[in-house]
Amino acid sequence: MLDFFAIFSKGGIVLWCFQGVGVTESFTGPVNALIRSVILQERSGNNSYTHNALTLKYKLDNEFELVFVVGYQKILMLTYVDKFIDDIQLHFRDRYKNVLEQRGDLKLLLNNFDFKDDFTRLLHKAEESSKSRGPVSMKPFAESQKSQKTVKSMIETKGGDKGKEPSGKGKKGGKKEAPAPEPVGVDAQKGGAAAATVKAAENGSQNLTQEEIVAMNREKFFGKKLRANKEKTSKSPKPQKPKGKQKRTWDNGGSSTKELDYSNSNGNSSHDASGPSGDAPADVMGVHQLDPMKGDLRPVDVSSEEDDDDDDEEEDVTAVADKNTKKGGIGGMFGMLKGLVGSKNLTRKDMEPVLEKMRDHLIAKNVAADIASQLCDSVAKKLEGKVMSTFTTVATTVKQALQDSLVQILQPKRRVDVLRDVLEARAQHRPFVITFCGVNGVGKSTNLAKISFWLIENGFTVLIAACDTFRAGAVEQLRTHQRRLNSLHPPDENSGRSMVQLYEKGYGKDAAGIAMEAIAYARNQGFDVVLVDTAGRMQDNAPLMTALAKLITVNLPDLVLFVGEALVGNEAVDQLVKFNQALADHSTSNKPHLIDGIVLTKFDTIDDKVGAAISMTYITGQPIVFVGTGQTYNDLRSLNAKAVVSTLMKA
Amino acid sequence: MEEKTAVQSEFSYLDSFLKELHAQNPAVLLGLVVAVIVVLFTIVFFQVFWSRKSTRNAILLIGLCDAGKTLLFSRLLSGKFKRTQTSITDSSAIYKAKNDRARSWTLIDLPGHESLRPQFIEKFKSMARAIVFVVDSAIFQKEVRDVAELLYSLLTDSVVVKNAPTLLVACNKQDITMAKSSKLIRQQLEKELNTLRVTRSAALSSQDGSSGGTSVPLGKKAKDFEFSQLPMHVEFVECSALGGGAEEAESDMEALEMCLARVA
Repeated sequence: MLDFFAIFSKGGIVLWCFQGVGVTESFTGPVNALIRSVILQERSGNNSYTHNALTLKYKLDNEFELVFVVGYQKILMLTYVDKFIDDIQLHFRDRYKNVLEQRGDLKLLLNNFDFKDDFTRLLHKAEESSKSRGPVSMKPFAESQKSQKTVKSMIETKGGDKGKEPSGKGKKGGKKEAPAPEPVGVDAQKGGAAAATVKAAENGSQNLTQEEIVAMNREKFFGKKLRANKEKTSKSPKPQKPKGKQKRTWDNGGSSTKELDYSNSNGNSSHDASGPSGDAPADVMGVHQLDPMKGDLRPVDVSSEEDDDDDDEEEDVTAVADKNTKKGGIGGMFGMLKGLVGSKNLTRKDMEPVLEKMRDHLIAKNVAADIASQLCDSVAKKLEGKVMSTFTTVATTVKQALQDSLVQILQPKRRVDVLRDVLEARAQHRPFVITFCGVNGVGKSTNLAKISFWLIENGFTVLIAACDTFRAGAVEQLRTHQRRLNSLHPPDENSGRSMVQLYEKGYGKDAAGIAMEAIAYARNQGFDVVLVDTAGRMQDNAPLMTALAKLITVNLPDLVLFVGEALVGNEAVDQLVKFNQALADHSTSNKPHLIDGIVLTKFDTIDDKVGAAISMTYITGQPIVFVGTGQTYNDLRSLNAKAVVSTLMKA
Repeated sequence: MEEKTAVQSEFSYLDSFLKELHAQNPAVLLGLVVAVIVVLFTIVFFQVFWSRKSTRNAILLIGLCDAGKTLLFSRLLSGKFKRTQTSITDSSAIYKAKNDRARSWTLIDLPGHESLRPQFIEKFKSMARAIVFVVDSAIFQKEVRDVAELLYSLLTDSVVVKNAPTLLVACNKQDITMAKSSKLIRQQLEKELNTLRVTRSAALSSQDGSSGGTSVPLGKKAKDFEFSQLPMHVEFVECSALGGGAEEAESDMEALEMCLARVA
């Protein structure tokens, strides 16, 4: 069943491995892919990874610095694997404890880890147990979830009139409203709608990045809705339905509709004042689809909220206060002393409060929320079980690990040396093509001008292709830059040749075509670099994204740079994911050209909130090639990973 | 013992006793001062001695991913073949040089992955007595720019230049038919490093103004770069950690071991 099982040290030495019957290809490739794309990219929150037709699951043993990896065919849904890895880990540790505790790595080389007998025994046991379990017998009613909630489900049916509404959030909001003085459907609906729009706006940035989670939540939600519907089929009055539909259109409309909503509530009922203000927090907490958001921000409070359906703000406040005081107690003098003296293994529980703090800190520094939590998860996984040395506290250990991870993320995964690549292209007598893309107003053209200045200073000739054929004044802007650059480096100094030229075909033309002509022109005229400026586009604008993908597939640029501003917060995730997605989706080749690098602009405006750098590199895994730090042509820098991380970790 | 107690007393009752001491016989005072100086001197001496001893006794294995560092590590230490994966951390062990003096070094295998390499080089570079720079000769042509970049960053590092550890460029994987010879690799690296000198000096400064921080210029300015211009001893060695292709085959690393034995 299993294709392979490998046990290797973190130093990379395979201690023992098992290859399934009839498996010919080596496991080295898939496991290396796992290490490089999951463990080294700080994505270890999830412990499974799919590589071609294989699913790989792994476990880190931080105490002895070991990695356990198991691989099996993706189509097999092996349920016992997780437990199996744990078992193997335990047995392996027990059996070779004496060896593993020796210092130095020589032990790994000299000892023969013959684990086959134990392994086959455990594998047999695991496979047997999974077989013997067989089909799961049906749960008796007493054990079912349905039997658990009697009162709750009653409440749900009461407000459940709105459950019929197509918008799920609306229904949930309605449920919360049920005990309000006027249990009339209209009122509750309105409250729900308001909450839903607020929430939709909040959720919008997250929705697509965590597609899986959202999909899961949606499923969960639909399941619930179905159940709810079943319970109250007799009760739900039909006239509510059309109203629900109206509301759905509001939902999608975005924030401007919120005002509409408020005005409505003012006209309709006496409940208006308390409606939005009183309900909003409760709804935000209560709505089920908010789960991803909830997990990121403050899971403790929300879980305490979910328990008591009666939402009371004051209660929340006290609950939060309680939690805080408890935390303070642990971090007291005694805890500190205990942490300082004696070496012990780190557990998840020890790290939890520190990680929580770190996560909040990262978010405060403008790291996208879900990335902050993924990072913290990954750090937790990396540290779990590790032996702390004497005179270190949990906080310092976690902080150090997080700092290392951040440096690791910002460290470019490949060589970033544009000048060298341009030289290479020049040797091959072709122009080096760089395409800039990004959303509106992030500074594509400005930084393009800065980069051309840098290239000119280094003696390369530059052709700027004005492929922004949409925004008024885009071509003129580039023309101005070109004139200024040429006046800074007059042609007389460079043997009569102007260092930078603009290739433009006016407005309204096909950008891909202009880029192609520009590249052909540059090849004929012997330009070293072609910089392609594209129109800014929202990541959600499908036609424009298709156009961009076309431009890139047709022209095959050497470098596709995504221009993003350092001011961006959670939105960074959405932008990059969607740009990458669009490039992948609309490409005809089976190895699409994705974003190769990032230009981080407006870096001088953000003081110490440098989180966007982390967010962007984490999502794409691509290096930040340039950093724009001001208004003049000279304000172009490269990223200093260490400086950024120290700014980020600074309290 | 006497000295120690004297020091302790001085520290703990500093204020009250100082006046009394002044009143006392100046000979006692002088003795005390001498005692304190002696203690401090020994502490400083030992610190210097220990740090001198603990640093600079390591042989680092540095190279790109998949160059064969971990296998080389295994072969050098135990002579055995081990399957390897991409390293996540460093591994280290005591290595006894194969010469009559049989000095022992700490052999450290650094991970080659781009996102880990700089941190680990940073961590261990001050300890290096010798650096084994492992190159994959089979796909050298394709990787030449990356190899040169890594070598450039090593050779321009101020700590490395100051310590001037012996640099052994191990042209690994000579068992593969298409592998480049060490001579060719040397030539190509010299040429590439020469180009890099130009492009790197023109590279953008990093945000805090420092360009690369503590780098020193590579080689002699006016001339084309050659390895002989470097302050350290550079040697190119051909080797094959895998051996004849089969897993059980003997590895071919005598030349490398000879070189390591010569490291003083």
